[in-house]
Amino acid sequence: MRAKYVMSEVFLGLWRNISMTVAMIITMAVSLTMLGAGLLLYNQVDVIEEYYQTNLEVVVYLDRDITPEMTDQIKAELEDSGYAAQVQYESKEEAFERFKDTFEESEDLVNAVEAEVLPAAFRIKMNDINDADKLIADFSEREGVYQVTNQRDILQQVFDILGGAQRLTLIVALVQGIAALMLVANTIQVAAYSRRREVAIMKLVGAPNWFVQAPFVLEAVFAGVIGAIFAFATLIAAKFLVIDGEFADLFSLMPPIQMQSILLLLPILTGISAVISAITAWITLRFNIKV
Amino acid sequence: MNVFIDKGEFVFFIGPTGAGKSTIIKLLLREEVPDKGKISVGDIDVTRLRRWKTPAYRRSIGCVFQDFRLLPNRTAAENVAFALEVIGKPKSVARRVVPEVLELVGLGGKEHRYPHELSGGEQQRVAVARAFVNRPLLLLADEPTGNLDPDTSIEIMRLLDRISRTGTTILMVTHDSNIVNQMRRRVIEIENGQIVRDQARGVYG
Repeated sequence: MRAKYVMSEVFLGLWRNISMTVAMIITMAVSLTMLGAGLLLYNQVDVIEEYYQTNLEVVVYLDRDITPEMTDQIKAELEDSGYAAQVQYESKEEAFERFKDTFEESEDLVNAVEAEVLPAAFRIKMNDINDADKLIADFSEREGVYQVTNQRDILQQVFDILGGAQRLTLIVALVQGIAALMLVANTIQVAAYSRRREVAIMKLVGAPNWFVQAPFVLEAVFAGVIGAIFAFATLIAAKFLVIDGEFADLFSLMPPIQMQSILLLLPILTGISAVISAITAWITLRFNIKV
Repeated sequence: MNVFIDKGEFVFFIGPTGAGKSTIIKLLLREEVPDKGKISVGDIDVTRLRRWKTPAYRRSIGCVFQDFRLLPNRTAAENVAFALEVIGKPKSVARRVVPEVLELVGLGGKEHRYPHELSGGEQQRVAVARAFVNRPLLLLADEPTGNLDPDTSIEIMRLLDRISRTGTTILMVTHDSNIVNQMRRRVIEIENGQIVRDQARGVYG
């Protein structure tokens, strides 16, 4: 009975002030989309780290004119060093095969490179990838070794990019979030003003405070929830259209963003949005409706 | 100033504009809290009443104003029911009580009219019905006849008189000398926040 009254007031209030309601929902949706994207990237960094932790290799490239004896000697030293779990030799021919596989698409590049050019290498699975720097220090100056690279250093760049993107999304989320909350405060003020007559009478006859405030708070919560649902839909659409669609090649470098982690965002975004909207509305009311 | 008003009394507060008559109403409703002094209604010390307890306190008071304060988009019956609705009374109570009260104030048959379809006197009757529907112990009236012609004013006063006879204490702020003179009830005259006269069966003077 009272709930019905409150609900009808909520929708009446939102409808009476429809342009503000729409603005509120849009800014909230943008803010929450950015927040969601930021959270996904944060999660993605973890996933990539875990994914590569076991697969990371240190590659020791050998000089082109290295003798087979020297090669065997280096191999023995690598195995004895105690850092390597597994040392695998990759000959010039194998290196070229791998190169051809990697650049399958760019035929010109493959044609331009001769098999001779690519160095033979040892691909080393480390016992502990954190010892990579020690191994690099020990072997990079050794005779017959051309260069030692740690795949993690390359990966670090990917992390840096992801980290940058994440910071950017969070900053946009924050700025949009502030704008959204100001719109909430403004909407509540307008709603409180347009309903001042009802509010005055309610207070006069002794309606409890929660009952006077409920329609306003629920208005903000409703807008927050709708905004969160829009944000969620945007993220889903982004997964299908951008990550799996248009830019699938670009994103194939990293493990795919799981549908599951996007689904998890729905309750998170809705919860955050509803709670913050409600608090904002409630604080606004404390300044606008005196008991 | 120091005033004691007994249960069931009918008291007029009169005095020039700005004397502090309406402030008394605001203080009693706890719309304003005094810097010093003490106001008690029944057992309740209004000056020390907690904010969150205010709504419950206000339910024991009815209030009528010069400008009626009705909701324009609700009928007479709905306006009265609204007072019950917002304090959580079930609909069945409203269905039973509202027609009774409207009958009491003389609006039987006009339950479904909207405020703009009612005359000023009828609107004030709705307001009185709303104030009285909870059977308050205290009814405050802030110039209830201020917007009404003399005949209608007298009808409203008769209504308040009848409510007073049910044991409800009535405290009325007014400028209307005719009404005060006709009613012959206790009159408290205020000037600059001070009581200058307190007569048991007084006239406007």
